[in-house]
Amino acid sequence: MAHQYHSATEEQERGQEQGQKHGNGDGHETEAGQITDSNGVTVESALVGDGLELSYPTSEETIVDCARLDIPEAAVTALVGPNGSGKSTLLKSLSNHLDPDAGTVRIHGEDLDSFSQKELARELSVLSQENDSLGSITVEDLVYHGRYPHRGFFDSVSEEDHRAVERAIELAGIEHICDTELGQLSGGQKQLAWIAMVLAQDTDVLLLDEPTTFLDIHHQFRVLETIRQLNEQKGVTVAVILHDISQAARFADYLVAIRDGELYDWGPPEEVVTEQLLADVFGVEATVEYEPELQVLPKQALPNSRL
Amino acid sequence: MAEAQSIDEHAAVREREGWVTGRLVLFCLASAIITVVAGLIQVSFGEYSMTFVETWEAVFNPAVIFSLDAWSAFLFGTELPNMTTGSVVVWDLRLPRVFVGIIAGATLAVSGAIFQAVTRNELASPFILGVSSGAGFAVLATLVVFSGLSHLLPLVAALGGTVAFVVVYVIAWKGGTSPVRLVLAGVIVNMVFQSLQQGLFFFADDLGVVQTAIAWLTGSLTGTGWGEVRIAIVPAIVAIGIALAGSRQLNVLMLGETTARSLGMQVERVRFFLSAVAILAASVAIAVAGIVSFFGLVVPHIVRNTLGGDYRRLMVGCLFAGPALMVTADVGARLALSGTQIPVGIVTGLIGGPYFLYLMRKQHSMGEL
Repeated sequence: MAHQYHSATEEQERGQEQGQKHGNGDGHETEAGQITDSNGVTVESALVGDGLELSYPTSEETIVDCARLDIPEAAVTALVGPNGSGKSTLLKSLSNHLDPDAGTVRIHGEDLDSFSQKELARELSVLSQENDSLGSITVEDLVYHGRYPHRGFFDSVSEEDHRAVERAIELAGIEHICDTELGQLSGGQKQLAWIAMVLAQDTDVLLLDEPTTFLDIHHQFRVLETIRQLNEQKGVTVAVILHDISQAARFADYLVAIRDGELYDWGPPEEVVTEQLLADVFGVEATVEYEPELQVLPKQALPNSRL
Repeated sequence: MAEAQSIDEHAAVREREGWVTGRLVLFCLASAIITVVAGLIQVSFGEYSMTFVETWEAVFNPAVIFSLDAWSAFLFGTELPNMTTGSVVVWDLRLPRVFVGIIAGATLAVSGAIFQAVTRNELASPFILGVSSGAGFAVLATLVVFSGLSHLLPLVAALGGTVAFVVVYVIAWKGGTSPVRLVLAGVIVNMVFQSLQQGLFFFADDLGVVQTAIAWLTGSLTGTGWGEVRIAIVPAIVAIGIALAGSRQLNVLMLGETTARSLGMQVERVRFFLSAVAILAASVAIAVAGIVSFFGLVVPHIVRNTLGGDYRRLMVGCLFAGPALMVTADVGARLALSGTQIPVGIVTGLIGGPYFLYLMRKQHSMGEL
């Protein structure tokens, strides 16, 4: 296991639930509390999911049952797992789009429920997987919508809104298509425009659901580079669902592997990504090379995998 | 340095006012001119024959326009001061019909625009969510069964529309609503109310009652006067004011429910509130003009095709285009057939239907916004 949980006095003082058993995929049992990295240094979590049980209102079935999920502060965390493992569902609950049946989500130590919808949108922005394509809106107008949580009902655009939008457009590198209508853009350009919108929201935490899926390789890199820049320049905490495990391994500071709605493993990519994980979680036979850099080379699907 | 700053400031101003385009101004101006011209034509014809010059002199008669007594008579129903016969005919008999047309046109167009955003469906109209059939049923029931209440007809119509809308919302609600559920519930409620309407016709024993009912159900401005203006003007201004202020909310709502929620909007609350505003606007029109078909559906379409989908522009455009089209259609309804007037709803239906067909053939995708 790449990570260790141990009870923290801080947590006790706050009266949090203690001694809760963790049932991770590989039977690792720890107590709830703060997390440390492999060097024993405490990692601050921007976003914590505690004892989450998630299901959709339309069905009884519990989709995600996750004892504890940490999104470390000022780092890029990638959520990986096969289709239907519950990544998106988990992200929905982290962004308050889905009320958990049990458990809580805390952002910087405060319960999500204690925020109003607008307050939360100033702390946490989220880009969902499918964005209804709206043809007749210009990129700039779209990015201005990112300022919605900062504006009152009758407020006009302030100088600050203007600057935030400009920054977001610059960071996403889409100055040249500012006045173009969304309907005339390629999928990749559209995605960058949507990302610029959530950047304009100017939050400390950013959640992205498969932002690179369906994009050509050039735009995949553009998206990931934008996210990385945002993280490095402004210390924004990012949690991103990535489809491609090798991409995630190269890109993220931390990986969260999810299988069947449960947390399988958590930690820096070098420690999480193993041949065992690829077999257990993704059902593929693969070699993993650690030198000169982490590389995943998938070979074939495992015939007996239950996926 | 100073120059760079001024350029920056200029850019900021352009950004802020960016939604007011030359095209929008031109569109509104053209609509306003059409409204005025159609209105002048409307007041120039009638039983009491006057020449164009005479009528226009009467319309712009300063003795009426600047007379407080006259306006108090128009707007508050006090005694009408002494005026020339021409002025009385124009100002007391013919002009109010134009004003009612303007109010009904503006409110119906705005109401349609709101419903199309709320349901994210460009086939939505004030009437898809049950408002029309509910109001129609209430009107029929009043005329046929509770004939004692017929002086309260506008109020009853608005009430019926609201009740039907609430029923639609309750049916569509299942831990929240969705555009599709709302439209489907609207179709169901419409069907039930229409059956009830048709059932009620069997109980009408008076031909006059049937004719009044039909005029209501098709939408007509015949015989409207200052009384109707008085009923409609305040709620219309309130509804339109809120609609204009809410256009940015509608723009965000158009980004999709999930995105709107992520941006911090309380989607259900905003959707319900704006729907209520749209109901109010539609009720105003129904109360004074009956159920003018196709209007709330087509006008936002025309405006969208000309000005684009930004609701800040769309709302303003609807505010001008609605009156222009309603007053023009009413000129047709009143003057097209000599000797008889047809309900304006028939004209709008006859023009609106084919126009919609044309749009459908021209555009590849339709329905989703």
